[in-house]
Amino acid sequence: MTTTATRPADSRRRPFRTNRPVNWRRTIAWVLLAVAIAVSVLPFYWVLRTALSTNGSLAANSASLLPADFNLGAFKRVFGLQTAAEAIAEGGSGASINFWQYLWNSLLFSSITTAGAVFFSSMAAYAFARLRWKGRDGVFSLFLGTMLVPPIFTALPNFLLVKNLGLLNSMLGMVLPYLFMTPFAIFFMRQFFLNMSREVEEAAMLDGAKHWRIFFQIVMPNAAAPIATLALLTFMGQWNEYFWPLLVGTTEETRVLTVGLGVFKSQAPQGAPDWSGLMAATLVSATPVLILFAIFGKKIVNSIGFNGTK
Amino acid sequence: MTTLTKQPGPGLSARGPQKSRKRGKPGADFRGTGDLRIALFFIAPAMLGFVLFYLVPTIRGIYLSFTEYSILGDPEWIGTRNYERIAKDPLFWNALGVTTQYVIINIALQTALALGIALLMHRVAKSTLIRGALLMPYLMANVIAALLWFWMLDYQIGIVNQLIEWLGLPRVAFFGSEQWAIPTQALINTWRHMGYTALLIFAGLQAIPNSVYEAASIDGSKAVSTFWRITLPLLRPVLVLVLVVTVIGSFQVFDTVAVTTAGGPVNATRVLQFYIYQRAFNEQDFGYGSALAVILFLILALVAFIQMKFLRGNQSDLD
Amino acid sequence: MMNKKAFGAVAVAAAAALALSACGSGSSTGGGESAKGEISYWLWDANQLPAYQQCASDFHKANPDITVKITQTGWDDYWGKITNGMASGTAPDVFTDHLAKYPDFIKTKQLLALDDAVANDKVDLGQYNEGLADLWVGQDGKRYGLPKDWDTIALFYNKKMAADAGLTPEQMGSLTWNAQDGGTYEKAIAHLTVDKSGKRGDEPGFDKNNVAVYGLGLESSGAGMGQTQWSFLTATTGWNHTDKNPWGTHFNYDDKKFQDTIAWWASLAEKGYMPKLETTVGANAADNFGAGKAAINTSGSWMIGQYSGYKGIQLGIAPTPTGADGKRASMFNGLADSIWAGTKKKDAAIKWVEYLGSAACQDVVAAKAVVFPAVKGSSEKAAAAFKAKGVDVSAFTQHVKDKTTFLFPITDNAAKIEGIMKPAMDGVVTGKSPASSLTAANEQVNALFAK
Repeated sequence: MTTTATRPADSRRRPFRTNRPVNWRRTIAWVLLAVAIAVSVLPFYWVLRTALSTNGSLAANSASLLPADFNLGAFKRVFGLQTAAEAIAEGGSGASINFWQYLWNSLLFSSITTAGAVFFSSMAAYAFARLRWKGRDGVFSLFLGTMLVPPIFTALPNFLLVKNLGLLNSMLGMVLPYLFMTPFAIFFMRQFFLNMSREVEEAAMLDGAKHWRIFFQIVMPNAAAPIATLALLTFMGQWNEYFWPLLVGTTEETRVLTVGLGVFKSQAPQGAPDWSGLMAATLVSATPVLILFAIFGKKIVNSIGFNGTK
Repeated sequence: MTTLTKQPGPGLSARGPQKSRKRGKPGADFRGTGDLRIALFFIAPAMLGFVLFYLVPTIRGIYLSFTEYSILGDPEWIGTRNYERIAKDPLFWNALGVTTQYVIINIALQTALALGIALLMHRVAKSTLIRGALLMPYLMANVIAALLWFWMLDYQIGIVNQLIEWLGLPRVAFFGSEQWAIPTQALINTWRHMGYTALLIFAGLQAIPNSVYEAASIDGSKAVSTFWRITLPLLRPVLVLVLVVTVIGSFQVFDTVAVTTAGGPVNATRVLQFYIYQRAFNEQDFGYGSALAVILFLILALVAFIQMKFLRGNQSDLD
Repeated sequence: MMNKKAFGAVAVAAAAALALSACGSGSSTGGGESAKGEISYWLWDANQLPAYQQCASDFHKANPDITVKITQTGWDDYWGKITNGMASGTAPDVFTDHLAKYPDFIKTKQLLALDDAVANDKVDLGQYNEGLADLWVGQDGKRYGLPKDWDTIALFYNKKMAADAGLTPEQMGSLTWNAQDGGTYEKAIAHLTVDKSGKRGDEPGFDKNNVAVYGLGLESSGAGMGQTQWSFLTATTGWNHTDKNPWGTHFNYDDKKFQDTIAWWASLAEKGYMPKLETTVGANAADNFGAGKAAINTSGSWMIGQYSGYKGIQLGIAPTPTGADGKRASMFNGLADSIWAGTKKKDAAIKWVEYLGSAACQDVVAAKAVVFPAVKGSSEKAAAAFKAKGVDVSAFTQHVKDKTTFLFPITDNAAKIEGIMKPAMDGVVTGKSPASSLTAANEQVNALFAK
């Protein structure tokens, strides 16, 4: 290997720290990142602004950057603290919202499906990535094929199946289609398992350890970072599920947040949504996931990649 | 660092030593076909879910595509008549064109932006706060994000057009103009997903060991060529994952269209999945809708197959 | 190349699942059982929920062994859930039905006929506003719903803007229209249109590309029905949607009278008096009115609450313009409550539907001033309740009094017709296609009935 003089401007690309002064490339990078952050986050300001507005004044004050007729009514509606009459007077609907029940249901639904899907999918992904068996790749292609199935195909038959199992309007019935796997999870974990270093596994095998032990004691711990990422993404996806819980969880005891907050959407044809209520509901239902990310986000930050070598 | 290249098909015993490209390690072959029993155990739960909730409905759907079925009656076998109708249906071809247009715009935009953001994050800032900020759009349900943008991009009273007017430019009918409708849908979806996609790519970037970059810079490689010749190829498995998933997801766009333009203006956003929904549920022609869904499924299979083949996503170049 | 064992397992599981989904739920109706217990009732309008909850508790007091459980689902999700429920045997016992949807339910035998009940319980069909009860009789001559409420169309206008334009409420209330020059209706619209430099639509120097306030707002092209968009104009020309109503099988979109009306209407956008269609996709037309961007919006009585809720807007309601023969017209729509054919609580459901269709319940609804109930006495009470809220609804009730209503067209294939007419009408209103293109659309629509 030859050594050639490298230009100082490349220091930004170098992974090892060279305490160079700030250069223009770095500045541009920060500016671009700031723009990306702004675009991602600013619409949330608009959500907040609308949530703190009064419905009747929104249209007239469309150019104002501040809330139109500051009003906490929307949040009250979300938490079910307004009476039906008050709600209707403010342009909301008169339906009741059992907020904490819905929140609990969403939490339960998302947690159970995430735990199940990530765990079982990891197991299956391990089988597809590391184990050798006849027909492995054929079956994997079949599993991958499920990603291609338009959801319209599966919605009605799954509903019928859940009904025939007597599990309509139950949490079990709601989680069933997602509990055992999601195609994305299998695909995702398999890609990571393929990339993992085999050294530790090989050492363990030479020591006579069985696949079962290897999976739980070596592979999974090493895959902590991608698993955490997958779990977070799956949880967020499940948290925002709407159509399936709408079909299966119609009673108060099983309704999830996204369905319960459908009350803020337009109730009648040609009507307008309860904008402030809807925006308040969006903020409130996004908060638990934000908190989750705040707590578990560090785990992803402190990842050591997934090469597996310690 | 060891890699495993995938070879399809049976014949397991000879795989080990021949396939793996290792750096001076003894070839350790995991015991041939004896893995079958343990493999079945590992896959069992996922297999159950797969069969019950994906395979059976799909088979049923394929069956229904050969029938005339209005959900509330009984399916009536009519052979391939649905498929013949599809071939002559101008709305189907329109849907195909419109969806493809959407996919191309969405993927190009989303992947480029996500890649850029991931690189920026990797080089410049790794903090959880920034990552969280970029992930925030994903916190909104698809439908809510669509409604929000529907409101913000409104021609008459949306804030974005207000800003455009302040800048002295003519207002844009984002959802109403036939030229802008699909790009606007793509923009909304990109907005929602770019942080999420960036996170995926970012995780992949972290897997590339520093040693590679060190070697590159010692060799005198400049930033741009390091990126093209080293970073990008090493990102291949993750990029393929991202591309396959986002392309397939884009072909299935539905939520945002259903809640905003509902196929309009005229037919500019009548994408495949929405058209299927329109026929199957609104117009109660479930047999025809199923046939359309089967065609969509085949298209996706083809696209996925091409992608996997050409991008060789199962390999990693870490060597 | 799947492993044989794996394939075998898959096949067995698949067969089991198919068998499971094939077995339907057992159906049993005990004699006395069907007259008591809990029945489910669905509706979509959350604004009416409090009223019906009170009806439910009043009903329970009168019938202690029947409990009504009300579920409200917004319009967007309502029909999907009903259809899914019917397909899976979990549909509600009673639900609010709609004229555009119930023909399909009749075809698939999902509704219970009410004729026996009406005869046995001596339900007085004359208590309803005229024509409403007939809307709910199917092609087979059987009755499938008891009327619940009705709505008509009127002009919602901005009082201040009208006053500034020199238009008195009396003038606004007596506009005339014809398809050739638009009558005083177009004159008013033109005069109410103001461009960014303050010029009105009928003044020289009016810049139609820089309009600040449109004389007439636009909500959508109205597809095949045009209930709130143009039907009140076409009907004054003597044109009808179908050859007969209800249960027509031939549409008349190729008629010159119809096409001339649409062409006139589309021309308003060209002249700058009405927004272009592409700019209306997005937030609500009502919201635009509330933002002061449109002076007149044509809409239905169910929107009274919405329009009267905008702060800073003084709302005026005027009746629709009179046509060439001096008469007005308004589409007359009416909702009803229907019973699902698969209900296990038939007698209880019948009692509930009869209660819903009676003055006792409809008076409760009237008092809340949200809709006009079907029973004649109740709708008068509703008008009074609106008045007490400060809203003069005579523009709506006028049509009923003067008998200038025409029924909402009831036909089969409503959804497919919408699928054909919406893009076709959109094309005409945007100016992309001439009104004569509707003849081709009409052929497609009529072809649906040729089968």
